[in-house]
Amino acid sequence: MPASTKRPMAPIRYAPLWTRAFHSFNLLVILLMAASGLQIYNANPVFGGRGGATVPELFTLGGWLAGGRDWHFGVMGLYAANLGVWIGLLIRQRHQRLAAMGDLGTLRASSNTPKRRLAVHRLVYTLMLIVLGFSLITGLAMYKPAQFWWLVAPFSFAEAAGHDSWQVLRVCHLATIPAIALLLGAHVVLSWRVGGLRLWRSMAV
Amino acid sequence: MATPADPLSRRRSLGLLLGGAPALLLGGCALNGVGEAVGTVTQPLNERIEALLQGKGKLPEFRPSQVDPAALLINSFNGTPEIDPGGYRLAVAGLVSRPQRLDLTALAALPQHQCVIRHVCVEGWSAVVAWSGPRLADVLALAGLSPLAGYVFIESADQYYESWDLASALHPQTLLATHMNGAPLPAANGAPVRLATPIKLGYKLSKWVTGLKLMATLGDRRGYWEDQGYEWFAGL
Repeated sequence: MPASTKRPMAPIRYAPLWTRAFHSFNLLVILLMAASGLQIYNANPVFGGRGGATVPELFTLGGWLAGGRDWHFGVMGLYAANLGVWIGLLIRQRHQRLAAMGDLGTLRASSNTPKRRLAVHRLVYTLMLIVLGFSLITGLAMYKPAQFWWLVAPFSFAEAAGHDSWQVLRVCHLATIPAIALLLGAHVVLSWRVGGLRLWRSMAV
Repeated sequence: MATPADPLSRRRSLGLLLGGAPALLLGGCALNGVGEAVGTVTQPLNERIEALLQGKGKLPEFRPSQVDPAALLINSFNGTPEIDPGGYRLAVAGLVSRPQRLDLTALAALPQHQCVIRHVCVEGWSAVVAWSGPRLADVLALAGLSPLAGYVFIESADQYYESWDLASALHPQTLLATHMNGAPLPAANGAPVRLATPIKLGYKLSKWVTGLKLMATLGDRRGYWEDQGYEWFAGL
């Protein structure tokens, strides 16, 4: 870790309050969406249908199908708005760096480990945004499949192989949970390695 | 590094993290009750948006070759009622100028339409089904709708009940289906008459329909499942 243990530590530079609040709120909203989504999953498991294995109650939210839907569709507006703000902020801040091949260029050319780590970390949370955006698209397609039939259409690619677009959508929507869990894990580990506890505390509310 | 006076030393932070995780999970169970409040707050807005999204025109349909009879599961809250087709009557009452009691011959005499659509269950499964029968709009037109009518209350032989907004009931693909996948409707699927439409979730699509009542406002009984917490509009 770059911080020296001999020098007295400089006071932690906390991120602006709104950044910390937004960060925590994002985490909360993602947890609520995932847990209520798993509650909905249990009404008819994507894998195995009525006889399929259900998710342990520990990871679900809502108590029963209607409760899960209350949470899922109650929070989806906040989720979409958050995602929009998040993407907007990142595009504004990272436009030049990404466009000038900043992080990808660093990974290709630099042998400076901390610099590479930082670049990987930024790529991880860019990937998080893509995964979350994908969950929003697949979710909307299943929420209003009749009105947004054009959103369902791209998921009919596997119909020739006997996979109905609906099942493809369900699998895709569900797959965003393990994907975001992996990225969240990478985010936690990388942020620890980039800035240690001091970085964590600077983002804690 | 961190002095004992530091309220958030590394050790303490890790302890808090480990101690906090079970609390979070327990909190999750306690939150189950809050879900209803979240629904009460957000559903009216969601339903308003759903109604705005829903057009009056026909939606694209599926090809008949995409019909998958095995995918259509059977749901009923109270078994399958026995209905004698000869004695069956569909009552149309409430805010209408000519109340009706229609038998199956009268329904068959109306223009027949087929819709190959996706039937989506709130549980998460779906099935492409070919429904056919008269349009609900044509049946309601027989009775002469009052301009005051805004909702349709739907009664079923098994005591299931539902209520719909009039715009959804008048949608050109909303049928009173008497046939499924080219054959007469099986009893388990709602024979002799059930609702079918691409624009509503399955629990809105009452089977064994025996009565349509036009109303100006929604009553206390909004639907069997709605009264237990499901969303009322349930648009697709």
